[in-house]
Amino acid sequence: MKNLKPILYHFCRLLLGGLFVYAGVVKALDPTGFAGEIANYQILPYRLNFLVATTLPFVELLAGLLLVINCKVRSATLVIGGLNLVFMLALSSLLVRGLDIDCGCFRPGAHTSVQAALWRDAGLMVLAIVTFFGSDRRRA
Amino acid sequence: MSNRPTCLELCKLLRDAALIVLLATVAGAAINGRLLWQVWSGRTVISSESLPVGELLPMPVSLPELKSLPAGEVLLLDARGRDLYLQGHLPAARNLPWGEIETLLEAFRNEVPVDRSLVIYCSGYGCEDSFLLAQRLMVEGYADVRVFEGGLPEWQDAGLPVEEGQP
Repeated sequence: MKNLKPILYHFCRLLLGGLFVYAGVVKALDPTGFAGEIANYQILPYRLNFLVATTLPFVELLAGLLLVINCKVRSATLVIGGLNLVFMLALSSLLVRGLDIDCGCFRPGAHTSVQAALWRDAGLMVLAIVTFFGSDRRRA
Repeated sequence: MSNRPTCLELCKLLRDAALIVLLATVAGAAINGRLLWQVWSGRTVISSESLPVGELLPMPVSLPELKSLPAGEVLLLDARGRDLYLQGHLPAARNLPWGEIETLLEAFRNEVPVDRSLVIYCSGYGCEDSFLLAQRLMVEGYADVRVFEGGLPEWQDAGLPVEEGQP
C-alpha cells in the first residue's frame, strides 16, 4: 500500500500535465479559432476574447510542463485547479442559459457536449487534488 | 496529513502560482503581439498566407472607418448563411451567402453595378467567407471591395444596432 501512493501521484501528475500541455499546444496554434470558440460562450467582449485566446493556452502549457518535469508541482497544480474551476463555472453558465455549443476545451471543432465536458473537468479536478496532496512539499 | 501546507507555505504557493500565470500571459501576449495589435486597431485578422497566392486581396476596413462612411455610400454584404442573417445583421446589409454564391451571383450582378462600393463581413474570428466572397466579386469585375473583418461580433460589441429579418 505504501508503494502505491507514489505510483498514483506520478500517474496523476503526468496525466494532468500531459493533458494540459496538449490542450495548450493545440489552442496556441490557432488563436483566432480559439477566440471564436470563447466568443460562443457569450461572456466576454470581442477584444477580450482575443486576449484570453492568445494568453490562456500559454498558461495551460507552462503549468502542464511544470507538472511533467516535476518542478513547482503544487503551484502549477494550483494554477490548473483554478483554471479548471473557471472552466467548470463557464460550462455551468452554458447549461443555465441553455446554450449548446462546442466547449472548445481541446482540439477546435471537436464536438463535446457541455455535460461531458463538465464530467471531464470534474475528473481533472480529482487528478489535481491527488497531485497536490501527493506531492513532496519540499519540492513544491 | 503532514502534507497539508502551512499558512506561510500557502502564501508562497500562491505567489509562485501568480508568477506562472503572469509569465505565461506575458509570453502569450508577446508571441501573439501582431494579432493583438491587429484586433485592437480594428485591422484584418486573417493572415494573407491562409488565402490562395496570386489572388486579388480585398482591402480591410476597420470599425471606425465603416462607421464614418455616409449612409448609402457602400453596399453592405453579409456573407453568412441565410438563417444567421435573419437572426441579426448590420443595418441595411444585404445577404449574399458564400455557400450559395453560384446560384445567387447572376441575379446579384444584374442588380448591382460593378462600380458600386462593397463592404463584406461575416462572423469575425478568422471567418474566411467574407474574404472568399470579396475575392470572387473582384474577379467578377467589382473594383471597390473591402472586408470588415471584425464582422457582426465587433459591431455588436461596440453597442451598435443590429437589424433582424429582411432590411
